[in-house]
Amino acid sequence: MHKLKLTALAVATSVLATTAPAVLAADDLKITDKPLELTIHMHHKRYTSYDENWPVEKAACEWTNVCLKNATIGSNTTNSEEAMNLLLASGKLPDIVGSGRIKDVANQYGPQGAFQPLEELIEKHAPNLQAFFEQNPAIKSSLKAADGHIYYLPYAPDGKYGRAFFIRYDWLDKLGLEVPDTVEEYENVLRAFKTQDPNGNGIADEVPYFARQWEELIRLVTLWDGRSSGSDTYHDYYVDNGQIKHPYAEVGYREGMKNLARWYKEGLIDAEIFTRGSSSREYLLSENLGGATHDWFASTAGYNDSLAEKVPGFAFKAMVPPASVSGVQMEEHRRIPVKPDGWAMGGTNKHPVETIKYMDFWFGEEGRRLSNFGIEGEQYTMVDGKPQFTEEFLASGNVNSQLYLIGAQLQARGYWMDYNYEIQWSNKYALEGIDLYESGDYLVDQFLGVAFNEKEQKVYDRYAAQLRTYMLERQQAWILGTGDVEADWDDYMKTLNKMGLSKVLDVMQSAYDRQYGS
Amino acid sequence: MADIGNVGSPTENTMPNVQVSGKPTFSERMQLLMYRVRQDWQIYVLLAPAIIWFLIFLYKPMYGLQIAFKDYSVFLGITGSDWVGLEHFQTLFGSDQFLRAVRNTIQISAWSLLFGFPAPIILALMFNEILKETFKKTAQTIVYLPHFISSVIIAGIIITAFSPSAGVVNTFLSWIGIDPVYFLTKPEWFRPIFIGTGIWQEAGFQSIVFLASIAGVNPSLYESAVVDGASRWQMMWKITLPSILPTIIIMLIIRIGNIMEVSFEMIILLYQPATYETADVVNTFIYRQGIQGGQYDLAAAAGLFNAVVAFTLVMTANTISKRFSRTSLW
Repeated sequence: MHKLKLTALAVATSVLATTAPAVLAADDLKITDKPLELTIHMHHKRYTSYDENWPVEKAACEWTNVCLKNATIGSNTTNSEEAMNLLLASGKLPDIVGSGRIKDVANQYGPQGAFQPLEELIEKHAPNLQAFFEQNPAIKSSLKAADGHIYYLPYAPDGKYGRAFFIRYDWLDKLGLEVPDTVEEYENVLRAFKTQDPNGNGIADEVPYFARQWEELIRLVTLWDGRSSGSDTYHDYYVDNGQIKHPYAEVGYREGMKNLARWYKEGLIDAEIFTRGSSSREYLLSENLGGATHDWFASTAGYNDSLAEKVPGFAFKAMVPPASVSGVQMEEHRRIPVKPDGWAMGGTNKHPVETIKYMDFWFGEEGRRLSNFGIEGEQYTMVDGKPQFTEEFLASGNVNSQLYLIGAQLQARGYWMDYNYEIQWSNKYALEGIDLYESGDYLVDQFLGVAFNEKEQKVYDRYAAQLRTYMLERQQAWILGTGDVEADWDDYMKTLNKMGLSKVLDVMQSAYDRQYGS
Repeated sequence: MADIGNVGSPTENTMPNVQVSGKPTFSERMQLLMYRVRQDWQIYVLLAPAIIWFLIFLYKPMYGLQIAFKDYSVFLGITGSDWVGLEHFQTLFGSDQFLRAVRNTIQISAWSLLFGFPAPIILALMFNEILKETFKKTAQTIVYLPHFISSVIIAGIIITAFSPSAGVVNTFLSWIGIDPVYFLTKPEWFRPIFIGTGIWQEAGFQSIVFLASIAGVNPSLYESAVVDGASRWQMMWKITLPSILPTIIIMLIIRIGNIMEVSFEMIILLYQPATYETADVVNTFIYRQGIQGGQYDLAAAAGLFNAVVAFTLVMTANTISKRFSRTSLW
């Protein structure tokens, strides 16, 4: 702890030493002497407009002397891309543009002049951002547009874990089985769930493996050393030793699909996995039918509380990823460190220096606490130098919804999430699960995306969507048994190449090399 | 409901003194039009909102069609983007998936025309034969009802009904000893389910126009038929159907014009990659490619292609109908 503080101090002083006296003393957050008003478009599907009356915004305005004025266009839609297009088409950009989908827009229209490049401003005026980038060089690289400039500041999630393998521990106990360690054991347990009637109603109606998103079925190819995605977006490309690959054109995937088709046929996987949809977890768990899934820690663990009365003995808890056929334990999903949400500076903004300082404020200690926890004395109090949500606040309903209402955790703002905020309201089963996952090294690095130049973009646009359509068509056909992956594979690979897979991989690679510099 | 087939001829005795020998010149025609507007201005005032609606919502947006030939950038705007000629059309027609989508669109439309078009006519004829008023009204309300339910809910009902574990359809099949079928992942089942849903949802509502047309049939025709000893069946074939034939043909031409417009929100809600083979239509292709992928120019090109095909079809249908049945839209 002491050491950490020292390095932080060292970073801070080195920044101080290299920058102009514009850097303010830590306790003085005022950016300007006279109050400055900046306009903002802020659109996110959960809050389609900026609200000057959010307590968090009022505090920020008071502390920094920079106050934002709502200029959101398209607040009658919940689709951020649509709102953004309306804004761009209107021809007048506000000083700050915040959106649930800023990344692509900023990278595409920034070079055309819609947004201002930020990296020089950051170097001169934004010590907190500078420090954040020094700690997270990969995030900095991921922000670059094809012309090398940075046009937006992202919402940066904190914490590592997202989804995990969950299984009915009470069913395991009932059947006298151990928590499965390997893919063979996992298969046997699922088969036992199917055949040995763990819910005890005399009917073989158990659904051994289910998922709210059918893509979580494809995720299981990791058990045969395949991959299903390189990021927290489904079907995404992944990086293997600096080489961009598509998971669905690799041998491990073929092996995985072969086995998953077998599992599906045998009934180890929910027969209706493709159409049951988002309510499947709620339904299958509360009806005492579902045995195992792969889903988010916090929300899945929550069923242990909510179903405790309805399903006696209910224990749906996390297990570490089963070892694959080659013995690798991989949790492919993790919380991605940078999201496409965030904000950018309008091309016509007349106060770039004040604006970047204002954006920097949210990455500083006070700003980060404000954006994560809300107002001191209202939502949280300081306990041992750390913010702690008050009992009343935690009891007042869904924490995230409550925070949105006061203007905290707004992801259409560039800010750095503090994972401690979430730990404080995760239930004990989720925390136990996270501890379990902490005990090993299961996560893999994420592909943070690339920014294409115009030529690369054209190639990508031309082939990528159709490639995906074809891949998914074959994928479902193989699972459902209308095709045989072994027999089809050579044809499949040939078709992929005919449809431009190698061209897409080439432009991905060149963009990747430029951005992350190999 | 407008009586489409039988618009009164506008001949009046007080026509202006315009010589209509051979082709009238433009100025003569304008003179005639101005005269009519003065004469019947109330009617033209009633017409105005519809014309304004067309100008604002259908003609003005046509200006934006040019992005089908441009490398469109939202920031640079429609006029600021560069021309790229027919590039987007080349991309489209170079794509197997687009061609498949065109084929699927035509097939789904053709099948739903074949089964879906007669359905409301039959329904209207059946309603017409019901004598008990309360039963008729109740039955009509019940068949109209699905029209007012949102597609999302309809799709939910369909997915549940065809579910292999809990759906009514499979429950029924299991009674007669057939193994459950996972209908919504079977390409061969997509079209029957989709078209059947469409008929169930819309046939009742569409029957209104035919019922209105039947109501307009001169009752003296039936009276004399009864006197001549015609059966109800004969009256339906010999009087009702021929009388509403103009309406049927007009509705058919309009329907053909919409042949490229498959109700795609329903398809998006019901389809799966596993059923793309038969379910992917031009509009869903545009949606995946254009809207999700942000390629508005390509989507506009596909939309323009759709419109051109639909336009050609309407023109053809109208010409054929004009020649053989003397009924036409214009």
